Amino acid sequence: MSRSLLVISRQAPWSGPSAREALDVVLAGGAFDLPIGLLFLDDGVFQLAPAQNAKAVQQKDVTANLQALSLFGIDEVFACSHSLAERGLSAPDSAQPLSSEQISQMIDRYDQVMTL
Amino acid sequence: MSTLHVLSHSPFSDSRLDSCLRLCGAQDAILLCGDATYALQAGSAPFKALEVSALIIFVLAEDAQARGLSLPEWAKSVDYPGFVQLSIDHDKVNSWL
Repeated sequence: MSRSLLVISRQAPWSGPSAREALDVVLAGGAFDLPIGLLFLDDGVFQLAPAQNAKAVQQKDVTANLQALSLFGIDEVFACSHSLAERGLSAPDSAQPLSSEQISQMIDRYDQVMTL
Repeated sequence: MSTLHVLSHSPFSDSRLDSCLRLCGAQDAILLCGDATYALQAGSAPFKALEVSALIIFVLAEDAQARGLSLPEWAKSVDYPGFVQLSIDHDKVNSWL
């Protein structure tokens, strides 16, 4: 039985490579059928914001990759409610909002945690 | 299951410490190293937040010493071998990179 991995993505999509790298880790894990979860925390929730335009800053669209998550068998996608509310974002379709208490329990449940 | 949360960024320039404190379980511990040890700056907001958290706080001694920070009674000092031992003693390590 593979050990489960929770990836916590907490950087905004255009601030550097962290957001993309977190997503790459998750997609790679998914390709190998690892039990894997993805949590958007802090500025990471900005990756879920609507109407983003990657072309405006000559970058690739991260949101397209987010939509690929379910194709790779990754269904455990969460967003921190506190971080969403702090930034005036509404709950996205692509991630399940969780309270701080629920996130704390979830970190406990996974075998390994990686924060990027 | 217990998690060791490792912080290495200054609490005055980003939100890692705040978020970590919000998500920490009762069994968990925090290890401050690098610029995260600036949270020991007496009287500051991060200092107070850690003081009232009731969590177990470890501090990498040499990083605190380098910055001229004194250790409050609620924090435990560790060296690098101690850091390794903590990583073994907890079920997992969450490094807030």
